[in-house]
Amino acid sequence: MDNDQQEDKPPILKRWSYWYALVIGFLLLLIGFFYLFTKHFS
Amino acid sequence: MSRPDWIVLILTLLGIVAYGLYKSRTSRDLDGYFLCNRSVPWYMVLLSIMGTQASAVTFLSAPGQAYTDGMRFVQYYFGLPLAMVVLCITFVPVFHRLKVYTAYEFLEQRFDLRTRTLTSFLFLLQRGLSTGISIAAPSIILSSILGWDLFWTNLIMGGLLIIYTVTGGAKAVAYTQQLQLIIIFGGMFIAGYMVIHHLPSHIGFSDALHIGGKAGKLNVITTGFTGKKFDWNDRYNLLSGVIGGFFLALSYFGTDQSQVGRYISARSVSESRIGLLMNGLVKVPMQFLILLLGVLVFSFYQFNKEPVFFNQSQLDLLAHSKYKDSLATLSRDYDAAESQKISSVNWLSQHAGQEGSPEYRRNEEGLKQAEGQKSLSRTTIKRWLNDKEVGGDDNDTNYIFLRFVTDYLPKGLIGLLIAVIFLASWGSIAAALNSLASCTIVDFHKRFSTKELPAEKEYNLSRWYSFLWGVFCIIVAQLAYNIGNSLIEAVNVLGSLFYGVILGIFLVAFYRKRVGGGAVFTSALIVEAGVIALFVLNRNGVIHLSFLWLNAVGAIGVILLSEAIAAVVGYRMVEEKK
Repeated sequence: MDNDQQEDKPPILKRWSYWYALVIGFLLLLIGFFYLFTKHFS
Repeated sequence: MSRPDWIVLILTLLGIVAYGLYKSRTSRDLDGYFLCNRSVPWYMVLLSIMGTQASAVTFLSAPGQAYTDGMRFVQYYFGLPLAMVVLCITFVPVFHRLKVYTAYEFLEQRFDLRTRTLTSFLFLLQRGLSTGISIAAPSIILSSILGWDLFWTNLIMGGLLIIYTVTGGAKAVAYTQQLQLIIIFGGMFIAGYMVIHHLPSHIGFSDALHIGGKAGKLNVITTGFTGKKFDWNDRYNLLSGVIGGFFLALSYFGTDQSQVGRYISARSVSESRIGLLMNGLVKVPMQFLILLLGVLVFSFYQFNKEPVFFNQSQLDLLAHSKYKDSLATLSRDYDAAESQKISSVNWLSQHAGQEGSPEYRRNEEGLKQAEGQKSLSRTTIKRWLNDKEVGGDDNDTNYIFLRFVTDYLPKGLIGLLIAVIFLASWGSIAAALNSLASCTIVDFHKRFSTKELPAEKEYNLSRWYSFLWGVFCIIVAQLAYNIGNSLIEAVNVLGSLFYGVILGIFLVAFYRKRVGGGAVFTSALIVEAGVIALFVLNRNGVIHLSFLWLNAVGAIGVILLSEAIAAVVGYRMVEEKK
């Protein structure tokens, strides 16, 4: 798996783990936004 | 439909078929036909996996779901981004390294032939049936609203796409999905704009949201707790969305060949990964916007006459039943309540600053009474439809959005939105046919054939298998018509019955290196029987478990049981990786 990650460098970000963190972070951000959205309009 | 609508619809559909044929040129071997010679860039991987996942039901059902139940359905997708990350770390590098045509080839290398064959067979069974149902579901809705003949609607829904899918294979599927998604998103955006445009002049976008919010439609986040007790039968909440949705998305994207076939055709591991991760970024917001459209339609109907039941064909059924006279009386009461509602909502929205005044309270009371009468009318209609003598369908959720489109959108745009339904359907069906054919030839025909076939012959056989699967799915669609609206649920339930076990087999393959083929094969059979038993018990009311949890039960069941069997009969020898 490590070899694969080295062979295939990710675009823009330095490591694939940063991409994974971005996707998970964005999901958490969305859930937070949806929570506030629900509260605001309830 | 008017003539401009027919012109737009026919031109759009024929345009897609022509584009598919134009992009059909590929090398005449399995690599070209099923994997586009492994040359697809990331953005096409993204559009292709989105086009495969988003069926007609996505665009018909989701706005109706928000209209009736609110936006909490979006939580169903919360597990998807997490699944994309796991896929990128584990599944994608292995599939690329082994250069497999189907996901199940890997299982023979890791376990044995029987595990590969069982898993591929479960896939063919589940995907073949659910694709047939996916053709029938939107056809029933369209034929019901537009008065089309169901046989021909099914034939066009599942038949025209066969032309380019058989001719061009994965390449034609990927290119047409790209164009289809552009038309679909364009059509949905225009529909959203038209809903806001049709609101009264004093009601803006924010006001429409507040109206939806007051009615409890903007319940995007729900916990699933009733008091201190968690409701396991509650389908859409934060926990079931993250956990259940994760297992469902991991099974679907990691083990369903209709999706695996899209991203293993990428030109590199990187391109596959970026395509999947981008899907993880855009899927939840996209679904949020589609649901928001349903809330806007709800707000629109607060100022306009809402049908007592959105599926007109069911009202026609009642009009020719023993409830004929009662229906006429009920319709008069309902119309009076609707007029009262519209008048009260208009007054209240224009005098928001006068809360507490006698006139404000009078209108609030009028609205409450009207809503009570409307609710009573709908409940009565549903009760009549459930009468065995009538034999109707009491669920009109999937008719809401299309009814709005046909009743209120201008000529031409109706044709475009109908085309959107067809194209959404074609995208997922085409990918399904391509994957069904690839598994049939690679996992069965080629694997069990005693003689080596030349590349050209394999290519021609693949085209035949694509065609035959297309015919099979249309036959399933023609036979499935009398199940009614529950077809849509049937697709999801069918997936949940098999996906969990298939995922469990793959997770053992990736993460439990010491567990051998015998243990995983036996546990897969036992757990599959257990999952079906749980489903039957739930169906008969013995237990209360939402079908979404069956994926998690199947996957975890296979992992634990295969580990236990391996511990008893002995682990396999594993070579240490140097």
